[in-house]
Amino acid sequence: MHKIRQTLARVYAGAFIFYMLLPLVIMSAAAFNNTDKIPAIVPWKGATTKWFTALWADDRMWHAFQNTIFVAIAVALISVIVGTAAAILINSVSGNLRAALYGTMISTILIPGAVIGISTMIMWTKIGNGLGSDFILFNPGLHLSVLGQVSYIAAIVMLLVLARLQSFDQGLEEAALDLGATHAQVMRRILLPHLYPAIGAGAAVSFFQSIENFNVTQFTRGGADTLTIYVFSKVRSGITPTINALAFLLIVVTLAMAVLYELKRRRNASVEAAREAEARRAAALEEAVI
Amino acid sequence: MSAGIDLQNVCCDFGSFRAVDNATVAIKPGEFFSFLGPSGCGKTTILRMISGFIEPTQGTIRIGDKDMKGQRPNQRPTALIFQNLALFPLMPIWENISFGLEVRGVDKATRRAKAQALLEMVDLPGAADKMVSQLSGGQKQRVAIARALAVEPKVMLLDEPLSALDLKLRQHMRAELRAIQKRTGVTFIYITHDQGEALAMSDRVGVMSQGRIQQVADPREIYNNPVNGFVASFVGENNIFAGSVSNASGGMAGFDTALGPFRARLGELAKGNNIKLYVRPEHTVLSETQAAENSVPVTVSEVSFEGAFIAVHGQTTTGQTIVAEVRNDGSATVPEIGAARFAHFNAAHASILPDTTAAGA
Repeated sequence: MHKIRQTLARVYAGAFIFYMLLPLVIMSAAAFNNTDKIPAIVPWKGATTKWFTALWADDRMWHAFQNTIFVAIAVALISVIVGTAAAILINSVSGNLRAALYGTMISTILIPGAVIGISTMIMWTKIGNGLGSDFILFNPGLHLSVLGQVSYIAAIVMLLVLARLQSFDQGLEEAALDLGATHAQVMRRILLPHLYPAIGAGAAVSFFQSIENFNVTQFTRGGADTLTIYVFSKVRSGITPTINALAFLLIVVTLAMAVLYELKRRRNASVEAAREAEARRAAALEEAVI
Repeated sequence: MSAGIDLQNVCCDFGSFRAVDNATVAIKPGEFFSFLGPSGCGKTTILRMISGFIEPTQGTIRIGDKDMKGQRPNQRPTALIFQNLALFPLMPIWENISFGLEVRGVDKATRRAKAQALLEMVDLPGAADKMVSQLSGGQKQRVAIARALAVEPKVMLLDEPLSALDLKLRQHMRAELRAIQKRTGVTFIYITHDQGEALAMSDRVGVMSQGRIQQVADPREIYNNPVNGFVASFVGENNIFAGSVSNASGGMAGFDTALGPFRARLGELAKGNNIKLYVRPEHTVLSETQAAENSVPVTVSEVSFEGAFIAVHGQTTTGQTIVAEVRNDGSATVPEIGAARFAHFNAAHASILPDTTAAGA
């Protein structure tokens, strides 16, 4: 009975991973298929790197890619600042004010992206019209995509940082104040270092959320392309495996980063384990000496 | 270097709850002063008012003749050692110790040297570059002391810093704290609920209950001459006899109790006053014959071996339990359970206090 259950669990886990990864494998394989135009793995017409060559030569796509990265960096930067500040603020108030602030921040996650995109675009252009201003901020463009994306991605950062704040020992802040630190010094030397892991995770999540964003960008971008917009337009006008080649490269880079992160995490864990072992030895020694 | 602290009629209210009620005490420069009391007695609130985390509702706090009103914690010449130590886990030890100097803009080389000197003082010379998680409980304790001393405070405030340590280490650290206090000459204000700690370390002790300071005196005075029932029963053990003054002459008095007449010092009471007699177990002697005075027949009901002494419990005819402590000096004879004895105490060893429940005893 136990054995059957174990087998079933393995089969389920295997099926799950298979289901998750199969599209990526097919998509990656299509990048190497020597087809004429449409990305596919059947019929397999032999391996080729010609789509990577085509990718290298596709200026419009590189431009879209560049835009995507710029937008993602800007979104990550602003979201981290806004989200962290919001988390610290929400953590320091209580009662109705806290509920109101929290609700306001979170609501943007629940609002459909298309609505955020349209309302961002309408708000800024209307303000521009009202002021009779032609200032760049008031016209659609990638800067509005950044602002639109930040309005919900910052809330994700806020959730991550807020969770980390729960484990912050208020006593550390008091200790630092007691030793003469100003509130700014407490923030820089005590609170932010504690939050860095969450802020780092928030930056990574923001970056990837921004890269994959389509709907907010679609309504705010003006004439500029990002990768998702470009792929979408290609689907209509005729897609080629150059997209697969680009996706394959992104997967490789992501995998490499994930592996590096895991290695670093394991190294940190073993360093920390060694420290704790040393503390135990010191405690044992202490007991013996006294 | 060190400064005195003057509390004048300090009160602290949390809503309708008065945590500290009219506390007045003058702590001398360089003194090791303990606030002793059960949890919730207001001792930690007093400490937090001195350090500036709580403003008193009424009254003034002066540190070295300077009124602390409106002074925030980072502006006061105090350093607080927290109950959980609150060491900064993400900084190496030397940065922990020199944090107070860092925020004052002292350069790195000076900070490093100062941290090293302090580490040597607390007997941890090799720990500068370690992290907090590498240290044992006692070592963390020392780092916390070094960190507080680094800012050269005039007053050190210690909030039950030894409570997390096990017994042996706690006793060791007591002696060490006392030695550091003597060496540095800084005024120490120590908060504890452990009477042994307070009595062993302090120059003077302030016993607190229900927000009030009950008695301020040196440890011997607190133990030998408690001013009220709370102090008598909180500090050390007692056999308590309730009764009233029946006659008084020449500083001595006779007392009527349910167990018969007793004689002891009168104090400031008059005939007819309701009183309680407090007699320490170590001042209670068990003998086979009845003594001339202050002798009560008991039946031995329990014998518990405590190591340095043996506690013998005797049951009186009224059902009260009297505890006598016999020093375990090798010649001590311990009665069997059920044996008939007389519990006796010397008239000079009893504390007589008015019988009131106002002190919350």
